[in-house]
Amino acid sequence: MESRQLIAKLEYALEQLELARPFNKVRFRAAVLDVAARLAAEPGGIDILYDLAPRYDRAGIFADTPWDQPATLLPGLVRNTLEQGDRQTVIIELLSQVRLLALSRGAYTHAGMSAEQARHFLSQVMALNLDHLVAGPGEAMRVRLGRVGAAVAGVFRYLLENTPFEDILGRLVQEVRRIMSQRPLQVDNVKSMITQIALARGRGEGGSGAAAAEADRLVSQLFGPTATCADDPGVDAYLQRVEQLSPAALEAEARGFADAMHASGLVSDYHAVFLRRLVQHRGDLAGTRDGVLALALGLSSTGLDALRTFSELVCRLVEGAVQVGTAQAAYGLALLLESGQLYAAPVAPGLWRQIDLRLSPYCSELLTRVFGGGVSPSARLLAGTIGVLGQPLGIGQGNNPTCQSARAISVWAYNDPDYLLHLISRAAHFDEIVMRFEGEAISTGGMTAGAPVPLDTDPVSVLLVPHLDVMYRRMGELCAGRGDDPHRWINPELHGWWVGRECFLAVDIHTGGLRDYSEFLRRFYCSYHPFYNGNQPIIHPQPAGLAVTDSSGTFVGWHAITLIRVALDRENTMRVYFFNPNNDSGQDWGHGVTVSTHGHGERHGEASLPFTQLASRLYLFHDDTEALVPTSSPDNAELAEVRQMALASWAAGRERETAAQP
Amino acid sequence: MGNYDRNKGYVAILGWSLNAIDAIDRFDRRYVIVAPPWAEEYANKHDIPFISWNFERLNERSMEIAQRLKEEGVDVAIPLYEETVEWAGAINAVLLDNPRLMGQSLLFRDKALMKRRAQLGGIRVGIFEEAQDKSDVIRFLTRVNQALLKLDGDPNDPIHLKAFDKAGCLGHRVIRTADDVDNIPEDEFPVLMESHLDGWEFAVEAFIKDGKIHFMNISEYVTLGYSVFVPATPDLEKWRPRVEEEIQKLIDTFEIDFGFIHPEYFVTSDGKMYFGEVAYRPPGFNAFELIERAYGFNAYQAMVMMFDPKTTDEEIKAFFPREVVDAKGHAGCFGVYPRRRVINELQIPDETENHEYFEFHELQSPMQNKVPKRSAFGTHWGLVYFFGDDPYRLRDLLKAQEDLDYYL
Repeated sequence: MESRQLIAKLEYALEQLELARPFNKVRFRAAVLDVAARLAAEPGGIDILYDLAPRYDRAGIFADTPWDQPATLLPGLVRNTLEQGDRQTVIIELLSQVRLLALSRGAYTHAGMSAEQARHFLSQVMALNLDHLVAGPGEAMRVRLGRVGAAVAGVFRYLLENTPFEDILGRLVQEVRRIMSQRPLQVDNVKSMITQIALARGRGEGGSGAAAAEADRLVSQLFGPTATCADDPGVDAYLQRVEQLSPAALEAEARGFADAMHASGLVSDYHAVFLRRLVQHRGDLAGTRDGVLALALGLSSTGLDALRTFSELVCRLVEGAVQVGTAQAAYGLALLLESGQLYAAPVAPGLWRQIDLRLSPYCSELLTRVFGGGVSPSARLLAGTIGVLGQPLGIGQGNNPTCQSARAISVWAYNDPDYLLHLISRAAHFDEIVMRFEGEAISTGGMTAGAPVPLDTDPVSVLLVPHLDVMYRRMGELCAGRGDDPHRWINPELHGWWVGRECFLAVDIHTGGLRDYSEFLRRFYCSYHPFYNGNQPIIHPQPAGLAVTDSSGTFVGWHAITLIRVALDRENTMRVYFFNPNNDSGQDWGHGVTVSTHGHGERHGEASLPFTQLASRLYLFHDDTEALVPTSSPDNAELAEVRQMALASWAAGRERETAAQP
Repeated sequence: MGNYDRNKGYVAILGWSLNAIDAIDRFDRRYVIVAPPWAEEYANKHDIPFISWNFERLNERSMEIAQRLKEEGVDVAIPLYEETVEWAGAINAVLLDNPRLMGQSLLFRDKALMKRRAQLGGIRVGIFEEAQDKSDVIRFLTRVNQALLKLDGDPNDPIHLKAFDKAGCLGHRVIRTADDVDNIPEDEFPVLMESHLDGWEFAVEAFIKDGKIHFMNISEYVTLGYSVFVPATPDLEKWRPRVEEEIQKLIDTFEIDFGFIHPEYFVTSDGKMYFGEVAYRPPGFNAFELIERAYGFNAYQAMVMMFDPKTTDEEIKAFFPREVVDAKGHAGCFGVYPRRRVINELQIPDETENHEYFEFHELQSPMQNKVPKRSAFGTHWGLVYFFGDDPYRLRDLLKAQEDLDYYL
């Protein structure tokens, strides 16, 4: 069929969709999708779809689907959609990719998704699907999708044609480095991206420029970080080679792994194999084992001391958790040892309990379902536990809409690790956790069945988040009707005693209007700004609420974060360092408020903003009523500036203040 | 709800159809949907004006809804489904102060009454009878075939069984033998029995105001229950003047002053037209969508205009295109039934997908592999739409679909 006729058909179907009222969009969607997929398979068809992108997006082709809010899409799910989704879902995904390309070039705008975000997203999608880009869809996909398979290949080819591979390669490497600078726990996507880069490089693509060199370095860090495994020989061959190494070469091998791990945040499977060999072959290494182990984990004197003190525990953790498939746990273990957490009396026994923990059938089934059967569920959970304890700021909420649960796991891992170990053991063994809300016991037993399981996140989150979501909801029900934001009561009860009992809120929950906002800001400065709070650091991480805005400064939604520390950066700017349970903290919130994740003194996993900018997006924080040290008055000009920044963004239209409640 | 024109009527829509609501919401009349309580939450969520009402059989509470709509200021009620036709009659009798509308609506709801009334009006109908049980069916089948002078052993001419009060093909059975009679479930009785007319069956959509036809479409069936297209081929369209005469007879006989009717006719080989049945509501098989595709106007909106007592002649004139000549092409659809007993997947046949007339389909991938046995005229699994310039090519294309496998 000629494209011309298809275009006429698409035009009619699109008009019908545009005319339809929101509740009936779905009726006309099938026609648009069907014709669009056929057009995509025709020469020049995707050009036409590209030009139509603003129209079909606004007409409501994505209405009532996750694609309607592109900012919440996860690049890692695209492949799954293409491989498993039904025909219509695949076509929606394709149209969304084409629409993102249009967004990334500023052809039109979509609330909540900046051009920059669209570029990031597409880079990751392309990196994760390089095989579709370069080789077209696999046989299985072709068979399953028929003609739509041709459209998949067509769209990816189009994305590729519109961004030369060398550029993509550079962007991919940057993208991987940017993500890894945040040291996420969940690195499957990053690993897949690097795998795809390796395959493309293996085919001789990407040239030999600076980007190519960077790409090769990334590939070697993941697949062959040392001389002994540089050629990616396979596990058996590698183990044979290790047997032949002299003591000095063994130490060099250990150092090679540690360097690559700490430089990239990624752990090679050979590294895991190497560590297992160290702890399992005790006889011939006796005496030097701990030393080599410390080198292989890249430990400083603090970590080395912890390793020597808890030598038996560390060996059992490596044996139980660090395997091919869970190699990443080695990084968590190194950071756990470095943090000195093991010296807190209940942590080491808590880990011993976890080593021998018998998982409930439900828990085993859940972990196998989400992560596959390559690694046993208990090893998977132990690896996940080591991961969150070592990298409390590496947790991401995955596709789970409730950010509070991810944040809670993160603050416990950071601040209350033995409590987290307690929760993990209860949930894994009894399928239940119990908390108290103002004295009343709340159990999650039997209430998580059928709850959506978070995807694209770590094993501890997969296990605990459904329980925490239930708990959070139940606490919300118990304080319904109290006439104020429920977080006032939920946050201290859910997280722990160390959350400030006083809750400050910038908006009236009934009207959505600002409430005593100037006083709110003044109080925040007096509580958290070292110049005005008597130079007190944040002692425990504190939950706080942000009004998140998109790159144009438009309000998007309320979001939970953790305030971790406030300090001057190298440019003498006072910055707030915080944890954002979002999967990727690097975000543009408009009007120059760009969240930084590295380069301004951030530790791995921290996001940061200048104090004024963070204050301008803040709507809820906690503190205790009485300050222990004298405070001084914040600068009125600065407060006025912050207030203006808020009014120009999320607080626009909320100016009519409600009087403060007594 | 969008802006409406205060000089035009306020209509109540009886029944829940998102397509209808979508179209009417975009039109210029104030409206309210009267539908069962299960739709209320959805309606509220989407700001659809709504009155909750259970359409069971007419009863002593019928006045209640009529009074309520009258107080609301509604000018006229419009039925969307067979089941709401008599309600519209009862309500409009009150709203328009015309008790006759109630009786008229009952004629549309009882196929046996409908045929008698048509016969009384001098309209040609086939032989028909009511059956209370299987023995009535056997007797009718035998008598019809005796009358056709069939000998023992000759294959019977079939008869048709239809539920009195169901729309379209629901409950429609073709009976040829005593075995077929055995397969009729007891709870389908009573039914209407009709002799089979060998001829060309087609449907008409007629938009009526002040007892006159303002727009008349002829929908050509390629195979009953499978496929239909509009406008019809010139072969069928040449009957248009005769069809108009027949419709006018219906209008006079049933005393239809306004609204929308959807009758079915047969033309036999000797050129005689037989009346099948008539419905006072939108047709099934997405005929409204096909009309919109071919002519560009929305038939739901046209229907509202026909019912609204405040509609002016100028508006009607400006609204409708000229029949046949103004059509942008011919639009048809085909209802897919799996042809195999065991299926694995949906696959649009290459010759369909590559055909320039093919538009799109609404078929879903199969959820189960075994195809339930089809009894009577079952429901198709989804529609495939076509659009093109040549009605004969379109007809042959639709016919050809019957021999293709969509489910493998």
